Amino acid sequence: MHGVFLFSAIFSILALATITIFLFVSGVPFIAKTGFAEFLFGSDWAPVADNPSYGIFPMIVATLYVTALSVIIGVGIGLLTSIALYKFCPKRLVTPVRQMINLLAGIPSVIFGLFGMTIIVPFVRDYISPTGVGYGILSASLVLGIMILPTIVSVSLDSLNSVPSSYYEGALALGATKEQATFKVMVPSAKSGILAGVVLAIGRAIGETMAVIMVIGGSPEMPESIFQSVRTLTANIAMGALELQGDALSALIATGVVLFVFTLILNVSFSLLKKDKSEKKEKRGESK
Amino acid sequence: MKKIFALILTFAIVICSIGALTSCGGARFDENKNISVVTREDGSGTKSAFMEIIGLKGKTDISGVIVASNTASVLVEVKNNPLAIGYDSLGYITDEVKMLKVDGVEATIENIKNGSYKISRPLNIVYQESSINHEANKAFFAFLQSSDAQAIITDNGYVSTNDTTTSYTVIPGLTGEIDISGSTSLLPLMEKLAMKFESIQDGVKITVAGGGSGTGYNNAKNGVSDFGMISEDFNPSKADNCTYYGVAKDGIAVIVNKENTFDSISLEDLKNIYNKDAGDSAIKTWAGVSK
Repeated sequence: MHGVFLFSAIFSILALATITIFLFVSGVPFIAKTGFAEFLFGSDWAPVADNPSYGIFPMIVATLYVTALSVIIGVGIGLLTSIALYKFCPKRLVTPVRQMINLLAGIPSVIFGLFGMTIIVPFVRDYISPTGVGYGILSASLVLGIMILPTIVSVSLDSLNSVPSSYYEGALALGATKEQATFKVMVPSAKSGILAGVVLAIGRAIGETMAVIMVIGGSPEMPESIFQSVRTLTANIAMGALELQGDALSALIATGVVLFVFTLILNVSFSLLKKDKSEKKEKRGESK
Repeated sequence: MKKIFALILTFAIVICSIGALTSCGGARFDENKNISVVTREDGSGTKSAFMEIIGLKGKTDISGVIVASNTASVLVEVKNNPLAIGYDSLGYITDEVKMLKVDGVEATIENIKNGSYKISRPLNIVYQESSINHEANKAFFAFLQSSDAQAIITDNGYVSTNDTTTSYTVIPGLTGEIDISGSTSLLPLMEKLAMKFESIQDGVKITVAGGGSGTGYNNAKNGVSDFGMISEDFNPSKADNCTYYGVAKDGIAVIVNKENTFDSISLEDLKNIYNKDAGDSAIKTWAGVSK
């Protein structure tokens, strides 16, 4: 029985190790062959052309744009939603609204893609976009912004709720209004929890594939406007993975390596951030 | 603060309702606006055939192109976008979009058969010689060449490549499983052929899956599938241990939105729309397409 427990514990680590090894063993030699700088900073992606070139820089930039914009949309709406649920809406509405938002998290990403393709893309094309193209960064960010809402709402609401209510009452007693107490006392106190939600959301936005493919357009070029058809790293992998062979397929795996490193950096910097903060808090505590 | 919340809420509701209404309203065709060029992803059989025929083999896409990752999404985009141009397998075209004549020739079965419609391509299956030794595979292969199969091919808007009148002879008690995968262009036809074959030979189970021509080559080469479907001329370097059979021919139709006022396009203009390196002759707006 001990062995079973041990195996279960090791299994996920094994999976992680295997995936990492697979990615690096099949991806890194390709990057080395193409040239590190040319692969990462090259601006032409043409894997099946007569003179193939494998530059993923436009896709890195597109990924960052889409992620940033979707996080702005998602955090903007999500944070305000959680604040509304925290103090600014009738108590009996809180549970049903929260549950509905959680339901949003359970919708498969392909449905979000469909929604984006049939509603958001035509809307952007006909009413917002100056060029008449609906696919692009804006559409993708809107879809992703909606997708990451549940994460942000539930994590920020939980962290708001975990701030001792004496903070809130104290602020009110000192003459602050309800709004002042919430925005100046509660939100700053819940900052680290909210930040955690944002990082989770960034992770989801960066890794989301299916919904993005359906609304991003897919042209592998440098983003110059938010109404332009571009391609993210995940879209690049998914669009070609079933069709391409040989060097082109290796290029996709190498793209996967870059994506992997991205998320790794994200995770590490987040834990550093968190560690840094808790250390500061401790120091402050000592000096008092 | 409460007012701001109310304002934001109203704003959101307005946006949502406008969004819901979009499916009804929408923009009109304006030939001075940029053409929304729709293409397929790299590795798609339809794309490589189309690009080769219009003389852009191995070229990269123009800037701003919309990449649709399957035949259905090309149709959806062209159906919804008044400024779009796209291409799709003839068997897939519905009457929700408009087909353009190419160099004045309509994309019809007769015109593809007699070669006057330029943009057509073969739909092939690739297989290892050894997989034909298998009883069920052998029977299915014979069925594909029979007049029964030709009838289905013609009925579905494809062009049959062989004019045989020999019908398929049922083999009593035949059992087995056949796995077919690859080009999404051949997929709908192959599904119909497979269904018919299963109804004649009810001991045989056929699985037909998509994935694209690249998948077709890979799966046939690695023995994952008994037959791989490809929608381009067989290229032995992609699956060196395989051979091929031409199931049918398919036209690639050039499609535009129903709002579009054009009825015909020249092959030259088509090339200048899709060509990244066209330079001065590049066509960016519908006004640039010669009538």
